[in-house]
Amino acid sequence: MRVLLIVIALTALAGCASEPVQPWERGTLAKSEMQWAPDPLEAVLRDHIYFSKEASTGGGGAAGGGCGCN
Amino acid sequence: MAGRDTHPSLLALTSSALLLPAYQQANADAPPDYTTLGMSYSRYQEDDTQAGRTVGGESIERYEIDVAQFYLLAPVGDDWSVALDVQWEDMSGASPWFVGLDDGDAKVFMSGASIEDTRTTVSVNTRYYYDRGNAGFTYTRSDEDDYESDAIALDGAINSADGLTTWSAAVSASFDDIEPTQGVTPTNTLEDSKDIYGAFLGVSRIISKRAILRFGLSYTYRDGFLTDPYKLQDRRPDSRKEWAASAGLRHFFTGPNAALHVDYRYFDDDWGIASHTVDLAWWQNIGRNTQLVPFLRYYTQDEADFFSNTPDFNDRYIADDYRLSAFGGITTGLRVRHTMGNWTLNATGERYTTSEDYGLFGGDEAPALVKYWRYSVGFDYSFR
Repeated sequence: MRVLLIVIALTALAGCASEPVQPWERGTLAKSEMQWAPDPLEAVLRDHIYFSKEASTGGGGAAGGGCGCN
Repeated sequence: MAGRDTHPSLLALTSSALLLPAYQQANADAPPDYTTLGMSYSRYQEDDTQAGRTVGGESIERYEIDVAQFYLLAPVGDDWSVALDVQWEDMSGASPWFVGLDDGDAKVFMSGASIEDTRTTVSVNTRYYYDRGNAGFTYTRSDEDDYESDAIALDGAINSADGLTTWSAAVSASFDDIEPTQGVTPTNTLEDSKDIYGAFLGVSRIISKRAILRFGLSYTYRDGFLTDPYKLQDRRPDSRKEWAASAGLRHFFTGPNAALHVDYRYFDDDWGIASHTVDLAWWQNIGRNTQLVPFLRYYTQDEADFFSNTPDFNDRYIADDYRLSAFGGITTGLRVRHTMGNWTLNATGERYTTSEDYGLFGGDEAPALVKYWRYSVGFDYSFR
């Protein structure tokens, strides 16, 4: 059931209504501050620190390697 | 067929899992135009334990950690890129050993001697770009004094024909070995191993000229020795199943010339732990070359089924590790970026605080909850 709900949500998002945005209208979306992780080293470090202090991880991509910190 | 020029920076979704390398935010359908490299140095210092929550009544210094990071991302030919990520970590200080009752209050007993450890992680990636997406392979090696990990990952992304939607998927496997450093008191194992398998599925969607939305789901299965060998009262199940669902929004506001970042994650596992994480950031442009980025993160988790400040050794599983307790955490920080030609300099300061009172879930408050300050400085250079 949990997986089914997620698949439904993903499908809904993929097909969700949005205004047509032509390729030449995507300049703002290409700005560095509009990226998912504009500072990659910062993102990697933060995820690693939180993994060592908390019990949760994942959600944003494939799992990485393990660590003796947790 | 959509040409590469028509998809500005539709990003793959695989950007924020543990130790994922920097290159993972490459464009979905085109290799980088030029080589970039970056370096960063960070130091974070955990607060001393609270005297009133420490056995013996004296506060004790905890970890101080230095981290140096390096990445290099380079295009190869018309359709490929290669990337290298390296991270060095050096830590020293005392760590919680066990929790006991002192005058009826739960107090932490810290490891006596200062612990020293170093960690080196090297990650290599190669990525192929095709007309509507990309596919990558990553190998990661992590070495510590007492821990080794070899991990591989495969990921891919594909854009819809109109370029408004990007689907992403990834699978990974990690094979880890632990050989705890022996002190005066023996650890609860001499040598052991665990495997970690993960899968991810995500989708992002351009919803306007100034906004993009994403959603992701990950599943992680851990199998093997999951107990903390350095804790006196720790005996955990030998498997763990984890689910995480995430959502993110990037919205640009033309008036203030700034971008809003909103990210949310829900986590659940079969140890009884659930958590909510909300990340907010405001990317404020100042002129053409400077950005100020205040950020705020809220985290709350439930405790593991077998967590207790006063574990019963007759139970099959026990743990008094504060990381398995119910608590909430708040991070506040500020990041500054300044670009000069091909150079971008950055600096970050942040404060992380935790308390059982901050959490949405009830449970015993662990006496060893951690707080820290972090400072980072770094730069990126583009070979344009």
